[in-house]
Amino acid sequence: MSLLEVRDLHVRFGQTAAVRGADIVVERGETHCIVGESGCGKSVTSLAVMGLLAKGAERRAARMAFDGIDLLPMNERALSRLRGDRIAMIFQEPMTSLNPAYTVGSQMAEVRTRHKGGTRRAALDRAEELLGRVGITAPGLRLGQFPHQLSGGLRQRVMIAMALMNDPELLIADEPTTALDVTIQAQILRLLAQLQAELGLGLMLITHDLGVVARVATRVSVMYAGQVVETATTAELFANPRHPYTRGLLDCLPVPGKLPPGSQLGTIPGMVPKLTEGFRGCGFRSRCAYAQPACEADIPLYGTTHLSRCVLSA
Amino acid sequence: MTPAIEIRNLAKRFNVKQGFFGKPREVRAVDGVNLRLEEGATLGIVGESGCGKSTLAKLILGLLAPTEGDVLVAGQSLGALDRRARARLIQPVFQDPFSSLNPRRRVVDVVAMPLVAQGGLSGAEIRAQSLAMLERVGISAEMAGRYPAQLSGGQRQRVAIARALVLRPRILLCDEPTSALDVSVQAQILNLLAELRRDMGITTLFISHNLAVVEHVADAVAVMYLGRFVEYAPAKELFAAPRHPYTRALLASVLTPEPGLGVPDVGLGDAMPDPSNIPPGCRFHPRCPVAIARCSTEAPPLVGGAECHLLTP
Ligand SMILES: Nc1ncnc2c1ncn2[C@@H]1O[C@H](COP(=O)(O)OP(=O)(O)OP(=O)(O)O)[C@@H](O)[C@H]1O
Ligand SMILES: Nc1ncnc2c1ncn2[C@@H]1O[C@H](COP(=O)(O)OP(=O)(O)OP(=O)(O)O)[C@@H](O)[C@H]1O
Ligand code: SF4
Ligand code: SF4
Ligand SMILES: [Mg+2]
Ligand SMILES: [Mg+2]
Repeated sequence: MSLLEVRDLHVRFGQTAAVRGADIVVERGETHCIVGESGCGKSVTSLAVMGLLAKGAERRAARMAFDGIDLLPMNERALSRLRGDRIAMIFQEPMTSLNPAYTVGSQMAEVRTRHKGGTRRAALDRAEELLGRVGITAPGLRLGQFPHQLSGGLRQRVMIAMALMNDPELLIADEPTTALDVTIQAQILRLLAQLQAELGLGLMLITHDLGVVARVATRVSVMYAGQVVETATTAELFANPRHPYTRGLLDCLPVPGKLPPGSQLGTIPGMVPKLTEGFRGCGFRSRCAYAQPACEADIPLYGTTHLSRCVLSA
Repeated sequence: MTPAIEIRNLAKRFNVKQGFFGKPREVRAVDGVNLRLEEGATLGIVGESGCGKSTLAKLILGLLAPTEGDVLVAGQSLGALDRRARARLIQPVFQDPFSSLNPRRRVVDVVAMPLVAQGGLSGAEIRAQSLAMLERVGISAEMAGRYPAQLSGGQRQRVAIARALVLRPRILLCDEPTSALDVSVQAQILNLLAELRRDMGITTLFISHNLAVVEHVADAVAVMYLGRFVEYAPAKELFAAPRHPYTRALLASVLTPEPGLGVPDVGLGDAMPDPSNIPPGCRFHPRCPVAIARCSTEAPPLVGGAECHLLTP
């Protein structure tokens, strides 16, 4: 049984189809990375799993299960018992999930005592220990500080430590290391790998950083315009990208040594289509050099282990 | 020629209280920075989280007052300029697009704000210029009618960039401008910045954790550690032959997109430095893998753009 299984997820905000076919499976102990164009629905997908979509959002899926437990019929109370406990999330914008009115210590302690009970003192000790593990010096001092007194990178590490307070089984991390410099990024990624080895933590990692993806992912899913368009093991995806969007993405990277500084980088010309209710077919076709009439119909994910949602892969 | 930015002996210290009764501690966020940046140049600033990059940015923008030292922008102290003149001179793009955009205004109005504040343009012109700049950063007219909360993180960052560019300022100060963006949008923004620099001779300060991006855009790079520039060099030299041990560790930590190589451990240890308790001697010595006896007592002098005892003749 997979730790997380999402099949054919759809999310709509009024007339906008933000997600229109996301399939994501995360196994215990593995890291599944999600990459894709900004606005393609990565954060919305993760919020849908957590039951945290904005009011007015409509969600449906063929299946959405955590450790075999069906998440679809769950009410808010049941979900909130899982959230922050067996499933933890690190949000893309730390300031939206840190409360400016409370100190770091009291927010972290609350996460622990709410789910696991115990004393506030014990919770604070654990918070201090975790802040140390994510590379924060003088963690005791930081416990007494308010979020606005911390640098961007410190806030991000507070978020990471807070997500680990209850030893989650599944961690959904939305751009957890983008605000961090490369040495601390490496340290956090090593810490997460260690937790995976020790506790079998399953990690769903959303990131724009293809360097991070290459180095830590077990599998990668590429999203475009609300759909997962390609899924493969990491080595396979980098060596043999099949979807034209994935290929374009790999060409946009500034690769020192390959491209002279200041030169034009590869881009993917054009814009994402407006995804209104009736939109069908490949979302990439207005930008794709191989577009053909068949691309206007809905396209399934082709393949068995290396999946690609493209008529060229049929 | 007057440099675009000149910084002399700049320092910023914060007092942080520890609990209700604790002794206040002094955080030395920026601790003696000097810089001379010529018009039209692009300076990359890199360094550890919390080393003082954003504080330095706020000092340059005049959003914070220095504890010591001076900042001159185009030869003038920002305090001497009125708000409108300042806005035409220097514009910021910040790290966190969510908190920097007014949530109650539509995107097009967010971008129009600086033009409105300058005065002298008709409403129709303002709208046209705002939409044109939005289109240039890849935001369609349909999205321009939405509120910031209805955009993705990357879309919001493009809006912030459009707002900074709409006045065509002489200096652009970007604090992590592309870290919220996917690589294809990042490539668009970097190409756009390169174009603006060519067309308008815009001077850019570019703070980023992405060293491949810095290598691509910057003429010169300052490496910051615990509030100081520990190495300053032309980008080409710095990336080809980093000299300071911290710079070398930083470059060795870069994760290139090569599967199977894993995440390197460059031997800096897990304890990050504390700006309220700066080590004596070389501030990097507790973590430096090649420290010598002198490093824990004597501060290294600045020689040839780097502060390290091993580099002094
Ligand atoms: N509350 C909302 N109301 C309306 N539309 C929304 C809302 N939240 C997100 N969207 C839209 O849904 C789409 C997907 O957004 P999402 O935040 O998931 O993007 P993302 O893939 O995480 O992008 P990024 O990489 O920039 O963070 C976007 O087009 C966005 O504008
Ligand atoms: N208003 C403030 N009050 C107290 N301390 C502050 C304040 N602003 C910044 N600091 C401290 O100053 C130091 C430098 O912070 P700064 O935000 O400049 O770092 P940074 O280099 O931009 O980091 P990052 O890469 O994480 O954004 C940090 O230790 C931070 O906690
Ligand atoms: S389905 Fe058609 S338009 Fe879409 S990526 Fe494949 S060839 Fe291009
Ligand atoms: S002065 Fe000493 S401790 Fe500092 S960087 Fe050089 S060798 Fe390392
Ligand atoms: Mg997102
Ligand atoms: Mg910063």
